[in-house]
Amino acid sequence: MISKEICQRVLTKAVSTGADYAEIFAEHSMNHSISMIENKVETIQDAVIAGAGIRVYKGLRSVMATTIDTTEEGLLRCAGKAAEALSQGRAEISICLKERLYGDIHPVRIVPSSVSNAEKIAVLKEGYFAARQYSDSIRQVTGSLLDVDHNILIATSEGLYAQDRQIRTRLSISAVAEKNGETQTGSCSPGRRMGMEMFESEVDAKAVGIKAAEQAVTMAGAGYCPAGIMPVAIGNGFGGVIFHEACGHSLEASSVAYGCSQFAGKLGQQIANPKVTAIDDGTIPNAWGSINIDDEGTPARKNVLIEKGILKSYMIDKFNGRRMGMPSTGNARRQSYSFTTTSRMTNTYIAEGTDRNEDIISSIEYGLFAKQMGGGSVNPTTGEFNFAVNEGYLIRNGRICEPVRGASLVGKGSDVIMNIDMVGTDLEMGQGMCGSSSGSIPTNVGQPLIRVSSITVGGRS
Amino acid sequence: MDFNSFKQYVIKAAQDLGITEYELYYQTSESTDVDIFKHEVNEFSSSMDGGVCFRCLVNGRMGYASTEELSAEQAESLVKRAYENASVLENDDREFLVEDGQEYEPLNITPYELPTTESLIQTALAGQEALYAADPAVIDGTSCSAGSVKRTIAIFNSKGLDLSYENNIAIFAAEAVVSNGKEMSNDYSVKTGSFLELDVKEQAAKAVSGALAKLDAEVAPTDSYPVVFSPKAVASLLGTYSGIFSAQNAQKGLSMLKGKEGEMIAAPIVTLVDDPFYPDSAMPIPFDAEGSPAHKKNVIENGRLNTLLYNLKTAAIAGRQTTGNASKISYTSAVCIRPFTMYLAGGEFTEDELLQKAGNGVYINFLGGLHAGANVISGDFSLQSAGFLIENGVKTKAVKSFTVAGNFYQLLNQITAIGKDVELPNARGITSFGAPSILVEGLSIAGK
Repeated sequence: MISKEICQRVLTKAVSTGADYAEIFAEHSMNHSISMIENKVETIQDAVIAGAGIRVYKGLRSVMATTIDTTEEGLLRCAGKAAEALSQGRAEISICLKERLYGDIHPVRIVPSSVSNAEKIAVLKEGYFAARQYSDSIRQVTGSLLDVDHNILIATSEGLYAQDRQIRTRLSISAVAEKNGETQTGSCSPGRRMGMEMFESEVDAKAVGIKAAEQAVTMAGAGYCPAGIMPVAIGNGFGGVIFHEACGHSLEASSVAYGCSQFAGKLGQQIANPKVTAIDDGTIPNAWGSINIDDEGTPARKNVLIEKGILKSYMIDKFNGRRMGMPSTGNARRQSYSFTTTSRMTNTYIAEGTDRNEDIISSIEYGLFAKQMGGGSVNPTTGEFNFAVNEGYLIRNGRICEPVRGASLVGKGSDVIMNIDMVGTDLEMGQGMCGSSSGSIPTNVGQPLIRVSSITVGGRS
Repeated sequence: MDFNSFKQYVIKAAQDLGITEYELYYQTSESTDVDIFKHEVNEFSSSMDGGVCFRCLVNGRMGYASTEELSAEQAESLVKRAYENASVLENDDREFLVEDGQEYEPLNITPYELPTTESLIQTALAGQEALYAADPAVIDGTSCSAGSVKRTIAIFNSKGLDLSYENNIAIFAAEAVVSNGKEMSNDYSVKTGSFLELDVKEQAAKAVSGALAKLDAEVAPTDSYPVVFSPKAVASLLGTYSGIFSAQNAQKGLSMLKGKEGEMIAAPIVTLVDDPFYPDSAMPIPFDAEGSPAHKKNVIENGRLNTLLYNLKTAAIAGRQTTGNASKISYTSAVCIRPFTMYLAGGEFTEDELLQKAGNGVYINFLGGLHAGANVISGDFSLQSAGFLIENGVKTKAVKSFTVAGNFYQLLNQITAIGKDVELPNARGITSFGAPSILVEGLSIAGK
């Protein structure tokens, strides 16, 4: 990567027109992905991503320039462009870089780029054919094995010089099942911030395929979900997407700093049901959304966002933190050098409560059990959100009954987190890619089984 | 190192490995963006990115590799990686590179000059002032941005093909945030193309009136209704489901249109067009991602599925000609199939006439969470929506936080009337979607 000496000269150039802060973010990544369809290895994507982004600040103003030319000349040109655009005067600060060693709390044993295609394909096929052979009604299966080796370097005018290597591996299997001319899908995509050892200790490829196929077959036989307002029990793991969308995005500084959040100005206030404690923790060893340092070089932290319903903290990056008068919480993230960093989530989850699972289900006379959630989205300004339910069942008289398809949940974040009135004990994480202004980044969502006392279920009939 | 020098290293590396059939795809973009908060520039960015993708045929199979580092060392590694990747593939479908000597439609487009940084800043500031001036309910959080992108695409292959194309677009976006003291709401307007034709006041007014309409909105009552969708809502639905027209998806059993060419799949009033040269396309381009000529075609004509969209490989499997719809999601991706500018052809009615025909129903001008609430395989959708109630043939109360549910394949047959107001909202890249307003009978609305 780029030497301390070069960084120092580039940063000096970047602050030459009066910036009070400058930062270099350089990246060299290898992304590799093998895909299968129709029982065959179909394609391999294999990309080297390399470049740098330079940011300068003056007060509440930010300028960024990016380049794919990471030679000293290229970086100096890029820094010059940023400095010129800012143009607020002369250099006011001097820079002396000190290397920081934050260590690695997410050790990787088997670096994916050291593993042959053939070995990776063997793992992928294990998952793929487990889905294919699950049932006669499986019509198609697609699968992919993705690994990312993301090397970053951050140097700032405050003297920071730090590097991190973020390795991630993910297996995705999707199945299509057909019953009586109707097709439905199921999928399962576990990932970790680890190498190929993920398949020895954490993830059973076969079980991934079976889970995807099982869901497709179940849903292919299902009728449409009824529409209306009802209580909903949301399953653990990826069910945590409800907190991620309904609440998490509105706690990001990128919304809060501009007043564009349903929770701006509410620190210390009760915003959620007292049953709800929610946490964003980038330090969970080897978890999908974990980092050693964020993309501004701040070490990752465990931040309690909501404690027993009281708003305790936002998720903050350095630039938006200036506007809020608050320090970074280690949440600055970007997809790559070509995106402008902003505040994002890492591993965000609702902490375990005390309600027993059977009590949560039996408390519902008529409602929906959203066993497996799909993705969703939110408007952080208003808090209006939507999620898809990939695998749902009706609950009648406290018992889980037939599966239903095509359900979605909509509502307003500030209402729904007040309505989470039962929280179970089986906390689990689910993996997702979260898309926002700084690109697509890996995040974990998580929760135990919860009950939302009342929410709009979108369906038919 | 520039692309042409890099190309020479790649040719040499391919020769050394004995690779005779290969292609180099190059894409770069330079963009500038200005973002205003309150009355000042908040963020300014200027970026340059892009890279090359090399693909080659090894024993009939196509291996890919890409890089953003244009160096002699990378050229060698790139070719080697693609070669190794090809060697483990199992797909037996025949792969092709396009032959040289194709005829490309000339583009009758006046080269469009990119706005200067100063003009971007002035345009965004003017937009921001217009937003604040549009209504006293507009509050801080409102933002305006202006940007420009210059893209270059080049394809070079071992059969002598050597194409390149450059295109400029400018983008203006306004987001209005309004408050009535109790509640906030927001809305956007986006315009791409030349700033010469941009009316910032009109765009600001559009965003502000959209945001104001949502304040005090009610939740629609649960029932089955006739629904009038706005052009923007139809375009977003069409964009989400456009994959069903890909021959690749059909051949792999991921689209229910497999084997349906020549059959009625939609109401007879439905005609769906893919036109790379549609006047409002953000990026008209004369060739597809394989280098085949791009051309206009009716995908659905009067309800009948005229053709799926093909590239060279899927056309060979089906015994047809490519429709020139090879595409790449990013330059690193394998070739897939996508439309260029796909739009539902306009009908004979005004929006007022559609509302009249609906009588009592719901007008939907916002659909959210399409990546999650719409199943592209089964066609089922259940989507967060906002709009207005239609009472006695006119728009009345604003409604939000409800869902509309249906199935896209069925919806194509449930369209009973089509507006003449074709729009191409949010046209940004090579692929964009357009539509007029439509009236659809009998969709499920879930609200209160």
